[in-house]
Amino acid sequence: MNRFNFPTIKPDPALEELRSEVQAFLRAEKEAGNFQSEPECWMSSSDPEFSRKMGARGWIGMNWKGYGGHNRSALERYIVTEETLRFGAPVGAHWIADRQHAPMLVEHGTEAQKEDILPRIAAGECYFAIGLSEPGAGSDLAAVKTKAEKLPDGSWKLNGQKIWSSGAQHAHYMVSLVRTSPPDGRNRHVGLSQVLIDMSADGVSVKPIRDLAGDAHFNEVTYDDVILPADALLGEEGGGWKQVTSELAMERSGPERFLSSYTTLEQAVIELQGKMGSNAKARLGLIYANLRTLRGMSFGIANLLEQGISPETEAALVKDLGNTLENKVTQNVRAMLSELPISELSDTMKRIINIGVLRSPPNTLRGGTTEVMRGITARQLGLR
Amino acid sequence: MIDIESLIAQSAAKINERHGGRDVLHGERAPTAYWDAIIENGLHLAWASEEAGGFGAELSEVAGAIWNMTPAPVPFVETLIANKLLELGGLELAEGTASVAMGAADGALIIPFANAVDDVVLFADGQIMQYKSKDLEFHSIDSLSPDTDGVADFSKANPINNMQTNISRFSIEAIILTLRCVQMAAVMDGALSLSIDHVSAREQFGRPLSKFQAIQHQLAEAASQVAAANMAASQACAALSQDIESAWHEAVIAKVQISDSVESATSAFQQVHGAIGYTMEYDLHHYTRRLWAWRDALGNEHLWVKKLGDDLASKDKDQLWQGVTTGVWQS
Repeated sequence: MNRFNFPTIKPDPALEELRSEVQAFLRAEKEAGNFQSEPECWMSSSDPEFSRKMGARGWIGMNWKGYGGHNRSALERYIVTEETLRFGAPVGAHWIADRQHAPMLVEHGTEAQKEDILPRIAAGECYFAIGLSEPGAGSDLAAVKTKAEKLPDGSWKLNGQKIWSSGAQHAHYMVSLVRTSPPDGRNRHVGLSQVLIDMSADGVSVKPIRDLAGDAHFNEVTYDDVILPADALLGEEGGGWKQVTSELAMERSGPERFLSSYTTLEQAVIELQGKMGSNAKARLGLIYANLRTLRGMSFGIANLLEQGISPETEAALVKDLGNTLENKVTQNVRAMLSELPISELSDTMKRIINIGVLRSPPNTLRGGTTEVMRGITARQLGLR
Repeated sequence: MIDIESLIAQSAAKINERHGGRDVLHGERAPTAYWDAIIENGLHLAWASEEAGGFGAELSEVAGAIWNMTPAPVPFVETLIANKLLELGGLELAEGTASVAMGAADGALIIPFANAVDDVVLFADGQIMQYKSKDLEFHSIDSLSPDTDGVADFSKANPINNMQTNISRFSIEAIILTLRCVQMAAVMDGALSLSIDHVSAREQFGRPLSKFQAIQHQLAEAASQVAAANMAASQACAALSQDIESAWHEAVIAKVQISDSVESATSAFQQVHGAIGYTMEYDLHHYTRRLWAWRDALGNEHLWVKKLGDDLASKDKDQLWQGVTTGVWQS
């Protein structure tokens, strides 16, 4: 057996046709001044109106059947998402719901939840936030203390605090990993469950946290005696750890793990057109080779997801390599631009390279730190 | 994809198990028994088409065979390439071992395994020429490779077969770079296995090295480079099996990707082995020295990034993106 499972995908004209459609839409939107390209757009650039337009074109909710979904392949969804990242489009509002919570609801939601929520997600109108980290549980996720207590009528009483929840201020729902029963001795993976929280419920409060650039995209969310209906439990009671692991494989392998800074590179190529010196060319050549390889790995995982395989280690490898690369891209763009006098750089270029630098630290943190990724890989190698 | 479980790859694994191993790795170049087994199983003809007298196997299967033999000191890859060149020239395939020579982008004309092979196939300006090694006077060169690389003055000998073709050097470079990339990915993977075995067995401070997080993270990082090398080689193989003439671009990308990761990967492998990895006696140098030699072969990463960068600079942002996503390059 090969050590890792990364299939190579044959070129498919149908996918390229879809790509052209998406490109035409994005180009028109950009030219109409409806958005400005930004690095890390999937996290920090939200525009509900833009999300609704994406939804109207059938480019959200591509991977499920019925309930507003479009029953298209994971590869088709991949083409759409990578194009939006390339254009630095404002996809942040719907990104998380589309990527991980909709698939979770398809698998674990009740009929009523599916009918109520999934069509709204597909329309680009319903947004989600992630409730994993807590003040005392960062990389050590199993240390979560937020507690859901089952009441006699089957409903749940939720108390605790989540942190770093991006987009919680706009989100309609949040899915949180919580403790529903005590750990079994030293095995803390037991007794964890996932619950669906309506952000408008009594006792839910959201407090924004400003990042180092002054932007408030992530939040602290507090649950104070929040009463959740019985069907708020997603999946199996006590099965939360396993569910989170497969959710993270989806979260960690996508194109946003290596393309966050691509729009910076593209702008630099535009600015340096016809003026590139040998140093800039050499750096561009290397980054290009790295990007092409990472894209192959990430697209290969999309194909595995399509087949119902959830490759935890491969996803961790893509995230580790990809996050390193996206920061390397930003640094290489700085070097490339040094070949031009600053006075020749456009305001757009200056703006996005600064955004790129400011937004680089979380790349290697969110969705699991580089250290956590390497721990996962080391386990697969038989070292721990 | 590199199919290490194809029938051809399994056959290669069996040959390697019977005729390979430590003694062979440390012994003479191109050991006779090993090579005889390759001939007996017809593996040297695997990649050439049936019309040319080969088996017409898929490149993914052939790549699996290469993978399973690496790093045995046999000119298997060289013979596969030589026979593909002879096929492209419409010439008879070589009967025994063969190597390949073409002027590299860095000006070198190095012949891997030099006088250990029966034939040498030279590509120059569209001409495919087959020489008998015994007719060539070889000079050994200062090489990083444990395999005996050499150079020869072709003007002093006559080829036994010769065909002028309209095949471009890009096609031949694509072939050589791609197969070399498969070998590099394979040998990097092998060095990772050696390293895992070593840190699991070796104890310091009362526990195996593998239990130290510093060691785990070094090898995990190296493993990510191993995985990337595999993907880069696989993409190059996919492009080459689709169309030799347009495969050059993906081959160069793969050579850059893999060569660029050699330094960090081999540093990690050498580091976790400690001093034993720096000895002639231990196996590791058979892996690391080949990686050091092959990252330079036919031009190193520094040379190829300039070529890629030149190409990219002459195009626009749309070609950059098309290349990243599809590997398609508008010439």
